[in-house]
Amino acid sequence: MPVVQLNLNRLQNLVGKTSNKNKIISKIPFLGLDIEEQTDEFIRVEYSPNRPDYATDFGIALGLQGLFGIKKGIPKLSIKKGNYSLKVTPFVKKIRPFVTAIVAKNGNLNDEILRELIALQEDLHFGIGRRRKKASIGIHDLDKIVFPITYTTVSKDHKFTPLESSQESTIAEILEKTNVGQEYGSILSNTTNFPIILDAKGNTISFPPIINSALTIVSTKTKNLLIEVTATDKKVAEDTIAVVATTLQAARFSLYSVRISGGTNSTPLLNPRKIILDTVFVNNALGLNLSTATIVNCLRKCRIDAIAKKNKISCIVPRYRFDIFSPMDLVEEVALGYGIENLKPSLPISASVGQKNSITKQLDSLSLIMIGLGYTEALNSSLVSKQVHIDLTNRSGTEVIEVLESKSQEHTILRDSIIPGILENLSKNVHEQYPQKLFENGIVFSKGNPIIENIHLAAISAHKDANFSEIKSILQSSLKIGFSIDTETKTSSHPIFSEGRTANILVNNKTIGILGEIDSKVIENFKIRVPVVAFEIQLSGLIFD
Amino acid sequence: MSQVLHPIEKQIIKSLKESKSSTPEQLCESTKLSIDQVRRGIEWLKLKGLAEIKEIEKISVKLGKNGLDAKKSGLPERKLVNEVKDGPKPLDEIKNILKSDFNAAIANAKKNDWIQMEKDDVSSKISIKGSASPSREEKLIDLIGFDEKPQNDIEDSEALESLKKRPDFIAEILTKLKTVSLTEKVKDIDIDLSTGAIDVEAKVPATHVARIHPLNETINEIREIFVSLGFSEVLGNLTQSSFWNFDALFTPQDHPAREMQDTFYLKDLKAEKFATPSQINQVARSHKRGWGYDWNMSEAQRMTLRTHTTCVTIKYLADNKPDEARIFSLGRVFRNEKVSYKHLAEFNQVEGVVVGKNVTLRDLMGLQEEFYRRMGLTKIKFWPTFFPYTEPSLQSMVYNDRLEKWVELFGMGIFRPEVTKPLGITKPVLAWGGGIERIAMLKYGVNDVREFYNNNLSWLRSTTKCQ
Repeated sequence: MPVVQLNLNRLQNLVGKTSNKNKIISKIPFLGLDIEEQTDEFIRVEYSPNRPDYATDFGIALGLQGLFGIKKGIPKLSIKKGNYSLKVTPFVKKIRPFVTAIVAKNGNLNDEILRELIALQEDLHFGIGRRRKKASIGIHDLDKIVFPITYTTVSKDHKFTPLESSQESTIAEILEKTNVGQEYGSILSNTTNFPIILDAKGNTISFPPIINSALTIVSTKTKNLLIEVTATDKKVAEDTIAVVATTLQAARFSLYSVRISGGTNSTPLLNPRKIILDTVFVNNALGLNLSTATIVNCLRKCRIDAIAKKNKISCIVPRYRFDIFSPMDLVEEVALGYGIENLKPSLPISASVGQKNSITKQLDSLSLIMIGLGYTEALNSSLVSKQVHIDLTNRSGTEVIEVLESKSQEHTILRDSIIPGILENLSKNVHEQYPQKLFENGIVFSKGNPIIENIHLAAISAHKDANFSEIKSILQSSLKIGFSIDTETKTSSHPIFSEGRTANILVNNKTIGILGEIDSKVIENFKIRVPVVAFEIQLSGLIFD
Repeated sequence: MSQVLHPIEKQIIKSLKESKSSTPEQLCESTKLSIDQVRRGIEWLKLKGLAEIKEIEKISVKLGKNGLDAKKSGLPERKLVNEVKDGPKPLDEIKNILKSDFNAAIANAKKNDWIQMEKDDVSSKISIKGSASPSREEKLIDLIGFDEKPQNDIEDSEALESLKKRPDFIAEILTKLKTVSLTEKVKDIDIDLSTGAIDVEAKVPATHVARIHPLNETINEIREIFVSLGFSEVLGNLTQSSFWNFDALFTPQDHPAREMQDTFYLKDLKAEKFATPSQINQVARSHKRGWGYDWNMSEAQRMTLRTHTTCVTIKYLADNKPDEARIFSLGRVFRNEKVSYKHLAEFNQVEGVVVGKNVTLRDLMGLQEEFYRRMGLTKIKFWPTFFPYTEPSLQSMVYNDRLEKWVELFGMGIFRPEVTKPLGITKPVLAWGGGIERIAMLKYGVNDVREFYNNNLSWLRSTTKCQ
């Protein structure tokens, strides 16, 4: 989850004179923000990726103003008609067909605001932009650009000076040699024409979604900005620019429109949406009995405009709140405006009688029996290390189920047996007192259509006198006393077990598991210094289906 | 009262009756017991008033730095004698050779009656007198050699005193020795007499209890609470199609949470017949409508290790469409995370679901409060939060006395209509749940979540069951 650091003095100024720091800090969680760290000067808060408008203190101040009742209703975007135009050529259609843009003028950028803008940009890239695949943003110094500008394509040999560089590079070089090129180049892997934004003089402004040009770099001296968003989806492009525009307006920039033409592109209107909300629907969901007027007030505290019409409420949702899909999302806004702290929990009476799953019950019984036999329960992962489960147990792992791109060598395959895991447990306890007796029941996996999950029980005993008879007796007692099941053993062989001291376990002539003394080589692999005996049986199909 | 004696005690008494007093080390040798056994036995006898311990100080001597030099190349007076044994030499010449040793050499050689001085007009000469046989000091240095000798063993105490006066010739070592002897009381005891009584106060070895794993104790406790609140348990597979793990929960197919760096996908495996055609069609349409993209079947077929238990509850609801229900699902879930003291790649989660015509957000909060109350947690509060498939969504915060802070526990919410409608679920669904290890960590005071899967026997054998 993304985190933003907020300077408390700045935030207090933005929220308004009537607020104070303590009130702000205690209200922040009720915006849905988690306070991670707090000092006298600043707080660090975690926010949900569905609210990128909270990436800056401007957005959080808008929210707090609402909850405090300082300013209610939507922060209306005021976009003046600008004398700027952006033309889109047909060549971008198959690569990244949509572009939108807006101009923000007469603002003051300091280091703090610049840092926040970049953080906002990165969040939008990651979330709604799907790591720039769906949408990416360029923020430019307006005064370096000669209009009209063009969104078109170029070949891989096109040259310009990219951001944070002092010399020209070709598109191919940027994709191959720069970090951003390597990270995001795959978005453009299926094309030989590359999207580019050029100004009227032919200067490169931006190479979306990879990098901006050095020409239009933004600094604390920049007063006027051009923001462009290129995207594979028009709605996403406009949602994205709406968040940036709302933030810049809150940062006291004046917004101007950019006329956009070509293909299905058009000048963004960024108009709010209307959603009709039913008073009864709200009260039913929350378990409250609020009047329509109260609901309207709650919504306005969440910076949504609302007009009551009998039992219906006409809600005006600002464009930057693209996390709001349907009336249910507005119910949450009502709850927030009402104050979660004001909702009194109520315990509904249950009409049903609860019960454990029958498999759980059987497993509980079996565990009690194993405890009674002196075996302690072990718990191991079912996603395990191939090296431990296959290599150390002298087996070949051709049929194992592997996971893709695990971050840990300890978790690469799904276990097909429980014994290797408890052998590893013994191996880590060689300095503890013997005898050591462990059991585990859990799910094991095998390939099927597509995967079969069975529940197994395994038990293991390690001490200087451990032997076949001991473990066979444990197996027979547990199944007999637990489930009145009689077992037989028939000679067999298995790589984990010692030759001549291994048996299949049969119930009604059907093999349900294996039993024996662990092979000395396997014991050695696990660095255990005493004899070990074990059994493993499949419970699925035996004591439950 | 008959005195009960441990075999160790008996052996020590026997040995002390012969030797009167011994050090523990000596007792080891005479009884063939280990030093630990001897020490324990002495402690026991002392407590019973049968033995007493005296501390005595023992002084040993060994050669100091100068003493060792003298051992190697002779005392200064011997050096002097060696210089003049082939004829007299002038005093000044000797002075030059012996340097700072000169005064000591002259004084001691004279004391030993080894030399004489010849004086003429110009200078003084030194010549040997007699055979200059070894002095008592020299003999003592040879006797001590490189060893450490008890001071009492040295007979020529005069020579020792004389050497001690010379700087750094002799080092004294002071050691405190414990000696054990029997008290008068022992006389009344016949150690060979067997009374049949045993030492009821003696320590005994620990017996290790076979037990349920502490994490499973917590899981069982949680399961019981759900059952007591009227919930029935639903089980489901750990391997799931992306359809039930993501698509059915309105998670768009290009959502970052679905990427491999967060989710485990299974190699070369594809789900077949995982849902009814109508379920698939409706979910596809809901994604198209809500997220504006063309839903892809093969993406939904990718097999995952479930990232939450919600896939089990949503499938149950979609298949059974109950108007009224309380169900819960509990089990392992997986995240492709780097394992650390607070994150595991595989952990347990529980999720409870209430379906009903009139269920509300306040009911969800009430159920939550009751659940925590039965877990023994009474200080709780709620904050808003975000979950992709519930709306409204809340998180519960529980105050932990040991950590002296609020801890985030279960999350909760009402399933979004975008989730329920396509699957034919018409009544509101309240859902809540979260990780179980986090609760077990609070319960057992465990600070590293990996401890639960280490199966460290010393921990399993010592952790208190009822906490």
